[in-house]
Amino acid sequence: MNEVVGFLALVIPAMVPFVLAAQGTILSGRAGVFNVSQEGVMVLGASVGFLASFTLGGNTIGLLVAAAAGGLVGLILALATTALRMDQFVVGLALYFATLGLASLLYRVIVGVTLEPPLIELLETYPIPLLSDIPIVGEVLFDQDLVVYFAFALSFGLWWFMYRTSAGLRFRSVGENPKAADSLGVNVFRTRVWATVAGSALVAMGGAYLPMVYTGTFTEGMVAGRGWLVIALAFLGGWRPHYVVAGAAFFAGMDVLALRAQVADIAIPHQFVMMLPYVATLIVMIFAFRWARQPGFLGNNYDRESRLSG
Amino acid sequence: MTEAPRLQMTGIVKTFGPVRALNSVDFEVAPREVHGLLGGNGAGKTTLMNVLYGLYRADAGTIELDGAPVTVASPGDAIAARIGMVHQTFLQIEPYTVLENIVLGTKAARGERFDGPKARAEITELSERFGLEVDLDAVVEDLPVGVRQRVEILKALYRRSRVLILDEPTTNLAPQEVDALFASIRAMVDEDLSVILITHKIRETLGVCDRMTVMREGQRVATVTRAEATAESLAATMIGETPVTDPTDGEEVAAAVVATGLASADEVAAADAGAVSTAPVAVRVTGLRVDNDQRVEQLHGLDLELREGEVLGIAGVSGNGQVELAEAVSGVRPITGGSVRLGDRELAGAATSAWLGAGVVYVPEDRHRDGILPTSSITENLLLGSQRSTRVKSRGLIDWKAARQRAVDTISDFSIRANGPGALAGDLSGGNIQRVILARAFAHHPRFLVLHNPTRGLDLKSTEFVYEQVDAATREGACVLLLSEDLDEVITLSDRVAALYSGRLIGEWTRGQTDHYAIGRAMIGLEAQDV
Amino acid sequence: MSEVAAPPSTTTARVNRAAWYAGSVLAAFLVGGIVIVLLGLNPVVAFESVITTSFSTGFGFVETLHKWVPIVLCAYAFTIPLASGKFNIGAEGQLLVGATAGVALGITGSDLPPLLLVPAVLIAGVLGGAVWSGIAAFLMVRFGVNEILSTVLLNFVAFELIDYVASYVWPDRGAGHPATIPVGENAMLPGFGEPAVHAGVLITLLLSVAIGLAMRSTAAGFELRATGANPRAASVHGIRTSRLTAGGMLVGGAVAGLGGAIEVAGVHGNMLEGMQSNFLILGIIVGLMARGNAVAVPFVAFGIAVLEVGASAMQRSAQVPIEVVLIVEALILLFLMLSDVLRSKLGSRS
Repeated sequence: MNEVVGFLALVIPAMVPFVLAAQGTILSGRAGVFNVSQEGVMVLGASVGFLASFTLGGNTIGLLVAAAAGGLVGLILALATTALRMDQFVVGLALYFATLGLASLLYRVIVGVTLEPPLIELLETYPIPLLSDIPIVGEVLFDQDLVVYFAFALSFGLWWFMYRTSAGLRFRSVGENPKAADSLGVNVFRTRVWATVAGSALVAMGGAYLPMVYTGTFTEGMVAGRGWLVIALAFLGGWRPHYVVAGAAFFAGMDVLALRAQVADIAIPHQFVMMLPYVATLIVMIFAFRWARQPGFLGNNYDRESRLSG
Repeated sequence: MTEAPRLQMTGIVKTFGPVRALNSVDFEVAPREVHGLLGGNGAGKTTLMNVLYGLYRADAGTIELDGAPVTVASPGDAIAARIGMVHQTFLQIEPYTVLENIVLGTKAARGERFDGPKARAEITELSERFGLEVDLDAVVEDLPVGVRQRVEILKALYRRSRVLILDEPTTNLAPQEVDALFASIRAMVDEDLSVILITHKIRETLGVCDRMTVMREGQRVATVTRAEATAESLAATMIGETPVTDPTDGEEVAAAVVATGLASADEVAAADAGAVSTAPVAVRVTGLRVDNDQRVEQLHGLDLELREGEVLGIAGVSGNGQVELAEAVSGVRPITGGSVRLGDRELAGAATSAWLGAGVVYVPEDRHRDGILPTSSITENLLLGSQRSTRVKSRGLIDWKAARQRAVDTISDFSIRANGPGALAGDLSGGNIQRVILARAFAHHPRFLVLHNPTRGLDLKSTEFVYEQVDAATREGACVLLLSEDLDEVITLSDRVAALYSGRLIGEWTRGQTDHYAIGRAMIGLEAQDV
Repeated sequence: MSEVAAPPSTTTARVNRAAWYAGSVLAAFLVGGIVIVLLGLNPVVAFESVITTSFSTGFGFVETLHKWVPIVLCAYAFTIPLASGKFNIGAEGQLLVGATAGVALGITGSDLPPLLLVPAVLIAGVLGGAVWSGIAAFLMVRFGVNEILSTVLLNFVAFELIDYVASYVWPDRGAGHPATIPVGENAMLPGFGEPAVHAGVLITLLLSVAIGLAMRSTAAGFELRATGANPRAASVHGIRTSRLTAGGMLVGGAVAGLGGAIEVAGVHGNMLEGMQSNFLILGIIVGLMARGNAVAVPFVAFGIAVLEVGASAMQRSAQVPIEVVLIVEALILLFLMLSDVLRSKLGSRS
């Protein structure tokens, strides 16, 4: 029993990078912008978040600076694909490369090469009064750090926004059929820009969370493909905020399982355990692509005066 | 008319790159008027209205509504100025419900949650008042074309439009539905709306419009009242010359009827009816079963026969299995049951390339999506489908020099207007794209030609060209299956006509015996008379 | 995205385009230079070593050619599937599995004569890479799994796979980090000249010519490009598009796998963790810069190889972090695309 509770209590924070980055991916995707720079932006977020919290002091500042950096990358993607109508996928890839380089460069310039890597403080937990006293559930859900609460509140807020408000109705229409949305007076350009900026900021925060909850240091490989898994997660979740949270639990569970197995003395070489999240994702995708619906205009740029589109 | 005009557009200019689409156009609509905006394809009708609706930004010109100047830089501005537009391809969010589509972007939808009951009551009232029946909770993508059009009109009415633009609204409607639409339009005009009806069918404008403006090549050429207008004079104005110079030229007459709707297709066909064909059967389709893209069966055991040199026309409202039928009998879509025989050869189950090799050639309705490689040259587009044939190769490799030469020849034979064989297919106009597609089709020496909406969006010259090619093919013994949403086209071109409704062929009319109201009843399922 | 043919171009249009491209490269270097200045370092010294290292010594040139090989092959691994509209982001995984297969044969078959063993090692690499991309191709055609995701995820599986092979199957305990024991002498590619250039360079050169010709003038190459230009139109006209896209993916993986085998048999002599370097990213950059044009790939790749060899020299001579070069490369790509947009905007206005 304790074993299970302990496992679940680890899964919840492990969900956070997935949840934040996947909600960011959904946000821009629902507006029709298919971002593929997540892996790089998460590394950048981890680097910038670490550096800001190391030099300025405080993880909150680290998270905010990381979000700002991610938002800036999102702004480039948004402008390049709306105002200039450049290929979304190619711009995303170029930004992936550039952010990877930038992340390492910034770390190298500010910290330099050291034998002992500098450490930042890990996030503290804030047990929520009363709720955290509930047996099992309280331990698992309500004795976590603030970013965990933020990630879940954000997911709920996004679901509410998209499916329960008329602003959300307008917002989603941009990703489904921008020409129809435009013809009804919805500002496609503005919607795409803010969604992509905010989305990319969330992705970077997802990256910044990693050094703050696991190692206290920044390493180049620490994102370890989570940025790509997040795209898979967005597809699996049918681009819906609530399904994505459920999917994130699966990915986080795999993560924790792989870590546990590595430490535990089991007969299988740890490499095979480490493969697990990726292989499992591949298998799940076999089923997901059958039923998951995606925004109708995902990945396509909109040109009001084009005489071909529609 | 002492009142200020409802709408006054003055000196509208619009260019696309080097193309001058609108050349200083003036356009005026009176209050409570149905105004026909008439012209051939490419005349600039839709472009002018897209400027009015803020989808295109004009390079010059002014717009006044009820005497007050307005600036329309976006559809939002147009909606605020109470202009509504129903586009030819509906602008709807497919996974949303009818109600969501109608209220999207309006005041009712501005708050935290839109006021469902109030909006619902208002829309229900509108739909009853104007005879536009819809189920507000249905998901739009599940609805047939006619209903989706009503949703579009309700969208505009709900926004309190005083000017309503309808772009080719009768496409895909049965004659009966057209009558109902026109009745709704008259009801709107009685309630102080002005309606602009974009069309290329003269007989429609004569049926419902108070005035008509004729456009040609980006210019307004005339505005006449219903009383002054005759079908012949309008057709001559539209085309710029006498519409039919040689009444014995069947293709010319047919093209004029389809492109301008100046005469009754039934009568034209009757005048040119020959004997019923007794040529050998070339294509025999039996028990054809086909699924749609969602794997739902769309054709349930359909039978048809074509004799050599015969044109079989399939009338119908799109969405009743046309795409499935066209693709199945051309080998593009898998057949789940039944047989398609060309001569003695069974083709069901064979690969697409085998059908092509046997002489089955398909001219798809969506030219951009299914017909061409838009970013490839004309040379490469003409090669498509014969890249494995030994004719185009030397020493196992594609002989590009020869291919280019063939493209040059084709461009002159088919009068394709392009900057040489290297021009990208996607840059060509619709008529020229269709010429490329037909040139490629005829290079395969078709025995069975499947044409789906072959003249949609084409101007008169290109329409006539298509008909000449069809005629040439049938004279060489090819049989033709013509599926078209344009009833005039089906009637004037076909030796026999059947209607496709809900995946079944209904009725059969031989040339000269057609009655477009009877066919219309079959098209919307009012007549369950099986073949 | 992938254009089947170069747009009709007159000489002036070609010169015009070349000028824009040169401007894009210059602009990227300019931004890189500003970054270097902001770091308080000397951009002139830095860029001098970036550009001249490959040409100032024989060793530099050979190193450049040796870098060129995996970059070209990874670029083909990206551009061949791209011609049919599919994105293979898995070249590094395919390269590593190809290397694994090559190493397996090179170690276990070390008694075979070179004439047999060298081709066997290369073929093993080809098959290894094809198997790895084949998984993604199968998932794509059979289940509709997005190939971008499957190829990327298979990279991470491959990292663990080679770690396992280097730690458990043929570990070199003395290496200090995961690496296999060396392959037999007979598995090594012959070299030419002094300093020696391995035969993989020649193989890659011949392969480039063959791929360029195949893409341009064979029916399969045409069908691949037609599928990329418009899959629906292609299938309406009798092309079996899913078979073709799967085929493109397999060939792409095979080429990357060959790159892995050449790295083993020509450069390292064994397989080691990290041997994939950043070839995936460079291959994609090259493929995108070349606009998917198979003929342009080897030339663009050479330019990138020069930058990459120069990058490490730059770090030594001017203390500029090596990442600056990656950023410059990404910027070149962005600016190239930007120049296309600007050029067409200016063109339509005049």
